[in-house]
Amino acid sequence: MTLAQASGPFFRWDWVFDHLDEIRDRSLEHLLLTGIALGIGLLISLALASLALRFRAAYAPITWVTGALYTIPSLALFAFLVPITGFTVLTAQVGLVSYILLILTRNIVAGVDGVDPAVKEAALGMGYGRWRLLLGVELPLALPVVLAGVRIAASTTIGLVTVTALIGQGGVGFFILRGLNRFFSTEIVLGVALSVLLAVFVDGALLALERSLTPWTRRRAGA
Amino acid sequence: MRRTVMIGLDAVTKSYPGEDRPAVDRLTIQVEEGEIVALVGPSGCGKTTTLKMINRLIEPTSGIITVGGRDITSMPPPQLRRSIGYVIQQAGLFPHRTVFQNIATVPRLLGWDRTRIRARIDELLDLVDLGPGMGDRYPNELSGGQQQRVGVARALAADPPVILMDEPFGAVDPIVRARLQGELLRMQSRLHKTIVLVTHDIDEAIRLGDRVAILAPGGRLAQFATPEQILRDPEAGFVEGFLGPDRGLRRLSLIPLRNVELVEGPVVELGSGRGEALDAMTRHGLDWVVVRAGDRLLGWASAAEIDAGARLEAGSLQPIRGGASIDGSLRDALDTMVTGHTGVALVFDGDRYLGMITIDAVNREMLR
Repeated sequence: MTLAQASGPFFRWDWVFDHLDEIRDRSLEHLLLTGIALGIGLLISLALASLALRFRAAYAPITWVTGALYTIPSLALFAFLVPITGFTVLTAQVGLVSYILLILTRNIVAGVDGVDPAVKEAALGMGYGRWRLLLGVELPLALPVVLAGVRIAASTTIGLVTVTALIGQGGVGFFILRGLNRFFSTEIVLGVALSVLLAVFVDGALLALERSLTPWTRRRAGA
Repeated sequence: MRRTVMIGLDAVTKSYPGEDRPAVDRLTIQVEEGEIVALVGPSGCGKTTTLKMINRLIEPTSGIITVGGRDITSMPPPQLRRSIGYVIQQAGLFPHRTVFQNIATVPRLLGWDRTRIRARIDELLDLVDLGPGMGDRYPNELSGGQQQRVGVARALAADPPVILMDEPFGAVDPIVRARLQGELLRMQSRLHKTIVLVTHDIDEAIRLGDRVAILAPGGRLAQFATPEQILRDPEAGFVEGFLGPDRGLRRLSLIPLRNVELVEGPVVELGSGRGEALDAMTRHGLDWVVVRAGDRLLGWASAAEIDAGARLEAGSLQPIRGGASIDGSLRDALDTMVTGHTGVALVFDGDRYLGMITIDAVNREMLR
């Protein structure tokens, strides 16, 4: 049976139409895993960036640690975590989050550093406290740079989620893994195509979000 | 009679570690309620440092600063700052907030309700000459001058008795700057705020300051007096050099044209003949006349152009270029004389002709 499938046509649309429910569920699972990772990653990065912005001396060690996490090969990290946390969502998330901390933290710090000093001075001079300055002025103005980081992190995460198929998670990566095991090219192609489509879709959605959140960057002085 | 002291600096010093001389050196200044004090000096004289010590953006090394009679260290900086208006160069507007939201900043920090904020902002937009439609724009949709106006409106929003201005008009072109300066003076004549204004431009200090504090490098107060006193009797060392050789001309800028006696000049009515025109010329020792119809001047004609027996008609006149506004100073009038090559300046109130000023009037005022 395996042989028969392997020697069949390269891509079988009928198989796709027979499995639409599974495709939908796996895609949603993929988006969910990505969303959770981005959410947790953003929260941790915000905390790390706030720390780095408040205490400059903390920035170098933070970069060093998140940079080290970023360099660990993903397969090795998952293999290392399985004995501790098992074939669970937690294992997947620890890996996924680890990979995006560097880019997110760096972009938040760079975005806040890029805010016009005159604007910060005006805010302080009118009676803003430190936290109000960060939440009300610095972060909103850093948003374009922060969201640029989020878009890169999202693409990276969507790619990495397929790898988590190896530890029983994986979203559309599941199709790739099963296709490889069964020498069934349709599933492999489907898995790859879906992950690319998801990446493009999420990137577009984040771009639209950025536009709607930063209306001041678009309108320019008219005639 | 002396008025109440609104801002007091008593032997205020700011020194930074590793620098051999202080940024501000035992500065003692008292700013009275309702006056504009201009802090002026070359870069590195500590004028901006001084300003920022008043709202505690910078803490002094020693000395005492009071605002409204209270030691400013007796309240937390954010609370102090909400009670002091602050305008900075290039306005420092929040780019991500609309004009309305920018102006609403301090009222919101103070917890005003919506209706009160809205009413106040309508009032302020009107005060700084911005249309009500401007409220929904973002700062990057405004010109430099408009941004600066919003900056001023934002500082005035909660109606603070004290306003600090750090090079408020430094980032706009000279024409807009002159207009904004005029607007500030007009506003001040209604609001009577206590204003401390930092500038590196002595002309701006002289125009805007009721009193001018000139700081020398090293943060030392060189002279603190009215503009008239400073120009008439500058401190012999630093101030004389800082004012430069055109001190006499600067004094002219303190004399409003409204205080100068105007002469009628060689003016004849439209339709006059050659005889009347020549009479007017002789009376004033000039070889030209200006022609008027009612309050308006139509143009001028030189003696050579007026034919015998002909009448002065609108079509045959030369157009009048330039002229000084009655709102200007004697220095503006002198500028007009020099650029117009005529030795006189025609003075107008809008379109209405008021009279002319001759070089003799300038001489008289200079010698006074």
